[in-house]
Amino acid sequence: MATITTVVRGRPSTRSSVWRRRLLIGVVALYVGLLIVAPLVALVRGAFLEGAAAMWQVINQPGVWRAFWQTLQIGVVVVVVHTVFGTAVAWVFVRDDFRGKWLLNAIMDLPFAVSPVVVGYMLILIFGRRGLLAPLLAAWDIQVVFALPGMVLATLFVTMPFMVRVLVPVLEAFDVRQEQAAATLGAGGWFTFRRVTFPALRWGFVYGITLTFARALGEFGAVLVVGGGIQGRTETVPIYIFRALDERMYTGAYSAALLLGLFSILLILGTDWLRRRRQE
Amino acid sequence: MRNDTRLIGARNGRAVLLLATLLLFLLAACGGADTGGDKPVTLILAGYTTPREAYREIIPLFQAHWKEQTGQEVVFEESYLASGAQSRAVLEGFEADIVALSLEADVTRLVDAGLITHDWKSVGGDGMVSDSVVVFGVRSGNPLGITDWHDLARPGVEVLTPNPKTSGGAMWNILALYGAARRGFVDGVPANDEAAAAAFLRDVLKNVSVMDKGARESITNYEQGVGDVIITYENEILVGQQAGHDYEMVIPRSSILIENPVAVVDSYVDKHGSREVAEAFVQFLFSKEAQEVFARHGLRAVNDEVAAATATQYPPLADLFTIDYFGGWREATPTIFGDNGIYTTVFANLNVPTP
Repeated sequence: MATITTVVRGRPSTRSSVWRRRLLIGVVALYVGLLIVAPLVALVRGAFLEGAAAMWQVINQPGVWRAFWQTLQIGVVVVVVHTVFGTAVAWVFVRDDFRGKWLLNAIMDLPFAVSPVVVGYMLILIFGRRGLLAPLLAAWDIQVVFALPGMVLATLFVTMPFMVRVLVPVLEAFDVRQEQAAATLGAGGWFTFRRVTFPALRWGFVYGITLTFARALGEFGAVLVVGGGIQGRTETVPIYIFRALDERMYTGAYSAALLLGLFSILLILGTDWLRRRRQE
Repeated sequence: MRNDTRLIGARNGRAVLLLATLLLFLLAACGGADTGGDKPVTLILAGYTTPREAYREIIPLFQAHWKEQTGQEVVFEESYLASGAQSRAVLEGFEADIVALSLEADVTRLVDAGLITHDWKSVGGDGMVSDSVVVFGVRSGNPLGITDWHDLARPGVEVLTPNPKTSGGAMWNILALYGAARRGFVDGVPANDEAAAAAFLRDVLKNVSVMDKGARESITNYEQGVGDVIITYENEILVGQQAGHDYEMVIPRSSILIENPVAVVDSYVDKHGSREVAEAFVQFLFSKEAQEVFARHGLRAVNDEVAAATATQYPPLADLFTIDYFGGWREATPTIFGDNGIYTTVFANLNVPTP
């Protein structure tokens, strides 16, 4: 890392290279500005158009809080599940070899390729009233679709690859000899994982959790199809935003979007801050 | 040294345990909140998007009405999606007590599936709770001089109408367009000439620039400045104008009468034990009180008294036909929108270059 910095800084700063650098920085700033900052500014402006009081009034309704609460619930469950099973999957991918591993590996990326709306519909085909598991669910009186379990399942599907794809390279880079050293010193398997392997993977976890959570907060299509968008029941924040726009409640839509966006930004900034503090 | 680390590990473990417990409590808090003693009754309403504003006013009226009659509170859970999507959701297990949809075919689907078993068309007259008419929206001042159907086929006129494969509203639009042509109310198309009417349908569809999923999305798109003319319901225009938009309405000489059904879903009310209040709600929708709300939100009332009182706002048309002109939905759906239907065929051949 240090050497690279020296090389860049030590490059002969001829006039043309200075301009080239400035041009590149300008392009990057414009690129980020146009794609990310400009929509954000527009959003903030839209939310505050009718004043902060109006904003609070539209947000401070039981239905809207319920949507936020529901979104958070789904996010937390999804993160917990993927942290546990994502670790297991990444572990198996890196440490074990078995027949059909390549297939499992390919399937893992399917959620990136499948449209969320299709995901919602697939779940309906399994858990719906006429679905594959319908007799079983009816017998036990379990409601999966058009209820929270279906929404969690849909979000689980959509966020599946993040944890695994982040952990695999970290785990691959991790030197197994550290674990062997711990073993020779008499540490047990679980102890080694907790005290040796886990700390090395920590940043992979933080990054994976952030990505998974952010994606879960934003999921729209799959959750709408499988949840039905019932106000006060299966409505998440993105669905509320969509409905508010449809009902011409623009302040409500912008405010909720801003709050959700702020949450995601805080999440990412928080991760970044943690990482930098750690490096110092 | 090793003991030390073990100690820290144990403490960490306890912290994790504590966190997990807290999390579980948080998650349980939500479910726990519902378990009250004296439970109010809950009604789940599955509606199409258009009358949403009207229902938002009618629901409090009904809640007061029911409380006065029985002393019981009614909590509503509402979902508004495009009519076809909503009907399919109910079919797949969205346990709505009441459906309020855009067209009869979407209720018939639930009847065929055995979810609705009573004679819903005997409730409140014919099961139809509100009416509307297919009209056009044009830009302020009508710069293109749109007066009737034939103007929509003019080259260069950009038309918006939602996709009939997903939107009930769009089916009404296509039926109005094709019906007016077949009935001889489009200049240059002779009456009862199916081929000429289909050709006219093709000419208008050629001008369609955006086909949205639903009627409301279509008009909000129009409000963002897309297109010259929108084919939509009369109530969409009126509600949009109430919201401050300056587009204008053009009523064609000939159009179709849109009739919106409402029905109690037998299977689900029986499962929830909410039949009594659900039926009362549907009855209430036909009351003068509720019908006046529909009329305020751009829908034509089915209650004679309210319809008479609001007649100036809702002018009669020279030629207003119903779905019966096409033999009812059971016949219209396959012959117009089926795989070999008139619309499907015309639409499929739109992009095929003529030799």
